[in-house]
Amino acid sequence: MSSLDKINPPAISKDIGTLHPINQTKDYLLNLLTQIGFKEVHGPEIESEDFNFDMLNIKKSHPARQMHDTFYVEDKSNVLRTHTSPVQIRSMLKSQPPIAFSSAGKVYRKDDDATHLPMFHQVEGIYVDKDVTFSNLKDLIHQILHNLFGKDVEIRFRPSYFPFTEPSAEVDILSKNGKWLEILGCGIVNPIVLKNCNIDPEKYSGLAFGLGVERIAMLKYGVNDIREFYKSNLDFLGQFK
Amino acid sequence: MKFIYKDLLHFLSDKPSIKNLSERLFQLGHEHEINCEVFAMEFTPNRGDCLSLIGLSRDLNVFFGKAQPYKIFQEEIENLNLDFKNLSPEVCPKISFLEIEIEGNAKEYKPYLENYFSLLGNKKVNFFTDISNYISYELGQPTHCFDANTIKYQLIFENKICEKSFKTLLGTDINLGGKNCIFSINDEIISLAGVMGGMSTACSTSTKKALIECAYFIPEAIIGKSVKYNLASDAAHKFERGVDIQLQEEVLRRFIQIVRDHVSIKNIKIQTFDEGQDQKAKIPIDVKRINKILGIDLEEEKYLTHLSKLGFGIEKEIVVPTFRHDIASQNDLAEEIARVIGYNNIESKPLKITKKLDKSTDDVNRLKNYLIKNGFSEVINFPFTANEEKKSISIDNPLDSNKNKLRTSLKNSLLENLLYNERRQKDSIKFFEISDLYTKNNEITQEKKLGIIISGRKSHNYLDFSKKLDNAYLSELLNQDSKKQAFVIEEISRKELKTKKKDKIFYLEISIDKIPKHLFKDSESRIDQINFIKYQSVSEFPSSTRDFSFSIKDLEKYNAVIDYLSDLNDKNLKDAFIFDFYENKKLNEIKVGVRLIFQSNLNTLSEEDIQKSVNELLQPIIDLEGISIPGL
Repeated sequence: MSSLDKINPPAISKDIGTLHPINQTKDYLLNLLTQIGFKEVHGPEIESEDFNFDMLNIKKSHPARQMHDTFYVEDKSNVLRTHTSPVQIRSMLKSQPPIAFSSAGKVYRKDDDATHLPMFHQVEGIYVDKDVTFSNLKDLIHQILHNLFGKDVEIRFRPSYFPFTEPSAEVDILSKNGKWLEILGCGIVNPIVLKNCNIDPEKYSGLAFGLGVERIAMLKYGVNDIREFYKSNLDFLGQFK
Repeated sequence: MKFIYKDLLHFLSDKPSIKNLSERLFQLGHEHEINCEVFAMEFTPNRGDCLSLIGLSRDLNVFFGKAQPYKIFQEEIENLNLDFKNLSPEVCPKISFLEIEIEGNAKEYKPYLENYFSLLGNKKVNFFTDISNYISYELGQPTHCFDANTIKYQLIFENKICEKSFKTLLGTDINLGGKNCIFSINDEIISLAGVMGGMSTACSTSTKKALIECAYFIPEAIIGKSVKYNLASDAAHKFERGVDIQLQEEVLRRFIQIVRDHVSIKNIKIQTFDEGQDQKAKIPIDVKRINKILGIDLEEEKYLTHLSKLGFGIEKEIVVPTFRHDIASQNDLAEEIARVIGYNNIESKPLKITKKLDKSTDDVNRLKNYLIKNGFSEVINFPFTANEEKKSISIDNPLDSNKNKLRTSLKNSLLENLLYNERRQKDSIKFFEISDLYTKNNEITQEKKLGIIISGRKSHNYLDFSKKLDNAYLSELLNQDSKKQAFVIEEISRKELKTKKKDKIFYLEISIDKIPKHLFKDSESRIDQINFIKYQSVSEFPSSTRDFSFSIKDLEKYNAVIDYLSDLNDKNLKDAFIFDFYENKKLNEIKVGVRLIFQSNLNTLSEEDIQKSVNELLQPIIDLEGISIPGL
């Protein structure tokens, strides 16, 4: 090659941007739930106390409702939703079983430290039908966690407490360093919640679960500080192309 | 809450090892850490009944059997005839008082009492208060000790609105507000009931005659008070979660026994004021329902045995013990059974959900993918802002009082993101954010908006390196017809931003609904696969840039040079790209400009560090005949 005519200029690689890693993780989880059979539903981030708490059996005296845990807006007329569960309540009120809804989005709690942020993301799912049992819930959680962490992941269910599920469980996975890591909360939908949504708890039962998206993203990507996700640093974001 | 392992063993007929005990506690849902034979427990808020040795052992009895670990005073006790008025029996349906007078001082505490202080790090206060604190640990029932000589007039309990000040027994002055449960004498508040007693009636080391109050307060009347007045209190923690309404007299008899273990008792009198509200809840026996909830096949006999061992009464119905405020339904009982069986021992059974057709169009994800393909990075920002507009929504209890509004535009967040990255030496910035924005008029409205901000170089490739991102770029990106302005592109002035950079900043905000769909109709929908890369921590040290211009006279070597430059590798090399390409037809040579960006995660790189890396990276090219770097 001795002539300029035969030279090919260097290839132009097109600049590709990045979907935020939290939204990548959230979308991945939503897709997984869609494949299992859940239908995605949406709802507002500013919620009434009725949908955010009362309908979910979170009583007036529950600590989560206090001013130091929940953001109230406009003279306590509403709250910034503390979870995506009210989206499911709104959707259940418009439907009758069998139903399988997933909801995802930003939620707010009055926290701000190295491990907690005042805004984070959740993905939740609810399934209501005849004869839904705790052993079905275990199967579903296994499906989700095997997809996320591989078939060989060791999974542990622990009793826990959520006002909207009974029995309630927290689920851990065994990490490579031998420590159990909390991954999600789940349970059998409390019959009071079904009743609040005009669903007959004598006829139907349900299961529900919720994951913190940041928690999953931190584990999967190896990010140690949750605050990194919200610095909007191009050096950080650029790694998730 | 902390428990001494050996103390727990006294309450169990079997004597499990620490490991065995720990495993069963996890099975029952009681998280904990163990340090020097002390279990530091974390209980879920519904299990206030476990906040004592007897409470936790009641759960463990199902595995390790029950033992009677302590003595209580069994003899008959004279009635106290206390001048007491309960004006709010609805919040305090049961209250007992013990008046106890002692002779002499306790020289030293018995081991069971001493260990509570020495092994758990609790602070001794005075004889009566020390016993009160120990009993709360042992039986879960808070008691309060008044110096009996200070209670000279009628003692009144009431739940009422009061705006008075009150000095706690720790000497803290608090101003009460709103409704509070209080004990008072002659209109003077002497105790914030269920939370903390007052200074004026507190026992001291010289107190010989004490009045011990032992009550049941409904949780709703106590919840929030310790937080409101910033009074950390074991009593409030327990009352908020509910204590056993049937335990008060036994607790006071245990109190007497502990006193008698240490000193001579001169006189004791006792009195209980009971509104008779301690009825036990009952739930029908329905093992089929339990099996249906859990997906198991448990025999009724086993089911009832499990519940019996947990303290439930088995009659025609299941009788819920008065310490279990969290049990009211078949689902609650199902959870009890699941805990005893072990959640991990319940078999998984396949769940198949019938899929319904999801007709959602996924426009937002297509739009995002369109922008990403055009080099934009997505950011997510918090909605809290100081910027106030008439339509802004106010946060009543913001984390930061300077950010007490919800943003009504994405602009300031994106501008902050841009400036942050400029300060980190980024010269080509293209960000977008999609978020719901909330505003108020007569009612709260919600609108999903796209915000885009751009500044700096159009790209790092040699065709665009010297071109700047501008209004035209954004218009073209969003295919805007200049005759029909669907949205306005704003140039943000740098005057007020105090930045050294001169590149123009352009911003656009548009409602998602107004973006022409044809723009992104061919873009991909939501990702269904994800490559979870292992993230490398971002350097906080400055980067250094070096530009080199290669003159390639031997065109035979052109491809090798380009290939080599495309694959540079050095531990401190963060980025490398060809920013210039020029064919000099006159001289029959090619010029290639390369930018190398160096940055370390460990320190600020010195000139020597960079030069060493440069030499190692470029020497193989420089060594080639017919290739030179003019000026090097």
